[in-house]
Amino acid sequence: MCSYYTTIYIFCFFFLVTIYILYVVKCVFNTHGVQMPKHIISGLKYLAAVELIRQGKSQKEVAQMLDMNRSTVSHYLNGRNLSWNSIKIAKVITELCPRDFLTLTYALMQENARIVVKTCSKKEYKGTVKDSCIGCGLCADTCLMKAIVLNDLKAQIDSDWCCGCLMCGEACPTNSIEILEVKNGF
Amino acid sequence: MELKVNQDNCLGCGVCVVACPVNASISPEVAGGHGSKTTEVIMMVENGVIKIFSPEKCTKCGTCQLFCPTDAIWLE
Amino acid sequence: MVSNTKKVKAKDFDIVRSAEEKRELSFKDDICIGCGICEKICPVEAIELGDIGAIIRTGADEPKIKIDEDKCVLCGMCNVGCPVNALKLKIDDEPISDMDIYPHYISSAEIDDDTCVYCKSCETACPREAITIARDLPERSKLVTGEIEIDKEKCINCGICEEMCPADAIDMEHKLPTSDDPTVASDINVDKDKCVYCLICKKVCPVDAIKAVCRSCSYGVYDLKPEDAETKGSSFIDEEACVNCGWCQEICPVDAAKVEKPFKGELSIDTDKCQACGACVDICPCNVLSFPRPTKPGEIAEKISKDERYCIYCGACENVCPVDAIDVKRTEIKHTPTKSKSWEKKLESLKTKT
Repeated sequence: MCSYYTTIYIFCFFFLVTIYILYVVKCVFNTHGVQMPKHIISGLKYLAAVELIRQGKSQKEVAQMLDMNRSTVSHYLNGRNLSWNSIKIAKVITELCPRDFLTLTYALMQENARIVVKTCSKKEYKGTVKDSCIGCGLCADTCLMKAIVLNDLKAQIDSDWCCGCLMCGEACPTNSIEILEVKNGF
Repeated sequence: MELKVNQDNCLGCGVCVVACPVNASISPEVAGGHGSKTTEVIMMVENGVIKIFSPEKCTKCGTCQLFCPTDAIWLE
Repeated sequence: MVSNTKKVKAKDFDIVRSAEEKRELSFKDDICIGCGICEKICPVEAIELGDIGAIIRTGADEPKIKIDEDKCVLCGMCNVGCPVNALKLKIDDEPISDMDIYPHYISSAEIDDDTCVYCKSCETACPREAITIARDLPERSKLVTGEIEIDKEKCINCGICEEMCPADAIDMEHKLPTSDDPTVASDINVDKDKCVYCLICKKVCPVDAIKAVCRSCSYGVYDLKPEDAETKGSSFIDEEACVNCGWCQEICPVDAAKVEKPFKGELSIDTDKCQACGACVDICPCNVLSFPRPTKPGEIAEKISKDERYCIYCGACENVCPVDAIDVKRTEIKHTPTKSKSWEKKLESLKTKT
């Protein structure tokens, strides 16, 4: 009888120890490994959400645009579930040069990056395409902001979306793209 | 593509030398079947076998290969 | 970064770029005529024309053109420039040749089936074997009528009528005689679908066993329905193989074939430079060039002859000539309009500068 309880105790003890070890491992690896980019993403989304609300968007629209649920948006706007550290890092990212801002954000959140970059970028650019454009579409394929479309075998750059990363111009085989900074918000 | 010869196969007949249009324009007498008077031509028979002198003049038209009876000259 | 991938199948290849849209350029070596227009028109110098003379004449195991997939931007200019559709660009699986925003050569080849008499001259002449003429000949039995009968009692099975019949209409079943049945044939019959009632059998029969009469002869041609004598058929031009050279148009005896060529120009040969190596003759996709044969022994024929009616001014002969004896001038290029200035300029650049 005695040995029966002892076995159960020992079993319970090892069970709890295992769970504890797993928890510690999860904390150590997730927080400082996998979780880190997620924190930065929430920082970036926070900055974008604040800016979008300032522009007069509703919480529902913001949630849709940033691919979040509405309660998270509301939490973020009230400063909940967010570390101020990640907002600080996110702010530094938005102030990088346009290409670094875009490529870093794209690496973090892929398709959602364009709305964050468009919203948080304080500069405005205007792209012109020369007649030497051959309509190969390389710029459109390169543009992470999806700011370029082909029209009658000529590229067209949508200034609303252009973030000034200049990657299109580098890809262009005929050097037909010119991007100029027309407004600097700083 | 490059002009290549295999001297072991070559009979030294000189058909390629005569057929080559570039040779004939460099040294007109080869068009009449005469040996070339100058080593400016692409190829010539020397000591009974074909030898390439100026491969850079070859335009790779393939005429020599078409006429060679022993596949001793070809483009590859 | 966006990059191209290349798939090679023997001498053919595809270059693909998949991103916002999927662009796929495919090259078909068997259609390529080696004219080098793609090399000239490529805006990024990604195309290199092979040694066409050697490739076509010696059957070298090499594609006629090479495209550097790292340089190619899949703009489609080579597709539009290619006079024979050996290069095809598809954007999201739609060929740009179907898109109106891209310019296209104005060229066509058509055979009018109402005028065509199905003589097959064009099928034989077409240098690209692009034409197929399918024809249904009229039934012979409807064009001649008569009666024929062999009196099998009188027939001595000599077989003369069978041998003489020009239409192979008489069939005799030959056999060896046996003691049981001492005859040399068991039966003789006339196939009335084949018989043309020429009456030769009747005339040659040594025992007058054949009775025959030709009704067409006594009634003349009025007995025939004209539609029964008509050859019906249909023509087909393989657009992929057709190079709009004009052979069908020139050879057609009834003007049923119409060809519109995309280029106008001039082909001249310097016969002093020409060494008659035959490279141009072998390379020309349209059989424009040939070596004239002497008409009598000992005669010196011209070095080379040309007939520009069949020339498409592709310039393949000029490129391949080892002694620069050929000059191909393109003076006019017919293409559908494009709004793009750079495309317009590139197509214009195919014209010979004067």
